[in-house]
Amino acid sequence: MSTYIYGITAASHPGLPEGMGGVGDPPLPVRVLREGELAALVSDAPEGLRPKRRELLAHQNVLSEAGAAGCVLPMRFGSVAPDDDAVVAVLDERAAHYRERLEALDDRVEYNIKANHVEEAVLHHVMAGNPEIRALAEANRQSGGGSYEQKIQLGEMVASAVKGKEAEDALALERILEPAADAVSVGPESTGWLANVSYLVNRATAEEFLAAVERARKELPHLEVRLNGPLPPYSFVEPGPAEPAGTAAGGTRTGAG
Amino acid sequence: MTVVPAQQTGGGGGSSGLYDVLELVLDRGLVIDAFVRVSLVGIEILKIDVRVVVASVDTYLRFAEACNRLDLEAGPRKDPGLPDIVGQVTESGARGKSKGALSGAAETVSEAFKQARDDGSERETQSRPRARKSSSSARRKEEQE
Repeated sequence: MSTYIYGITAASHPGLPEGMGGVGDPPLPVRVLREGELAALVSDAPEGLRPKRRELLAHQNVLSEAGAAGCVLPMRFGSVAPDDDAVVAVLDERAAHYRERLEALDDRVEYNIKANHVEEAVLHHVMAGNPEIRALAEANRQSGGGSYEQKIQLGEMVASAVKGKEAEDALALERILEPAADAVSVGPESTGWLANVSYLVNRATAEEFLAAVERARKELPHLEVRLNGPLPPYSFVEPGPAEPAGTAAGGTRTGAG
Repeated sequence: MTVVPAQQTGGGGGSSGLYDVLELVLDRGLVIDAFVRVSLVGIEILKIDVRVVVASVDTYLRFAEACNRLDLEAGPRKDPGLPDIVGQVTESGARGKSKGALSGAAETVSEAFKQARDDGSERETQSRPRARKSSSSARRKEEQE
């Protein structure tokens, strides 16, 4: 039976969620594998594990349960070892590295911030500052909305102006939040948000960070700022010695079983 | 055991909570090269396509519609004069066609993504990270069992 890994903690972690339901249907119980000063949160790996909503939530829930009581290095979703012994061997081999990371991240949590524009507010801003766009919009409106091509043309111009405003506001947001965090990790760009940034925050000063978020919401009222956290420090564990071969598209499996 | 759902902040409904942390759970976190990862092929493709395709056509059309509805009186209003629309329209004709095809693809992808998100929503009771307090009580409960 292959072994699913949720995260790595200190063996002295005071609240490991042993027995909690993990991935699988029905949920497989979380077990703790100890080796020296380290422990791994694992469960049996279900056959045919897929990145479904239920499984992603199970992974996240086990980690937030563990993260609530102490430091945990969260694994990326879907890590499967051939068996328990292989997990223990890795804990042993890389003990120094994991201990260092656990120490560095002790008492720290991740807050992920995603922000997007309130559409009407940013469109007003763009129209107000750009006579050419205003003229085109007016022409389209007078011709009953404009043809498909006219709409695309207008939309393209607006999108470009909005993008400029997005970059400006992302910077403004980061300037407000960064001083209240220990570290910053910028996430992938997407059209769904203008900022996707994770902040590493000391639990002791989390109130300061949350206050900074509130300040940002007040100072940038044309932004919708979404806060997720406290989370295990997903963005701050740093990759291990090498990237896995198993992440290549199509080349993965759930283990030999 | 029961997991008490709680959210730190106004992130909206249940699915948006997972949606917002999805890329953290999938793309960040520790990776150990000695272990394999389950296939994320479907999800990776969806994420990439949604990012690239919707960025162009859907956004443009949406912006154009929104501009038509926007009340210009509320903003500063000068008389801007008409730009040279006609020439630009002819030029963008061919582009419009290929984007039309892409738009169809975007809808398919969005639909698939929605299905993926809806998948397993009946498990909504087990939800997301929760506040420290409730999680420790959940743990205590478990220890008693």
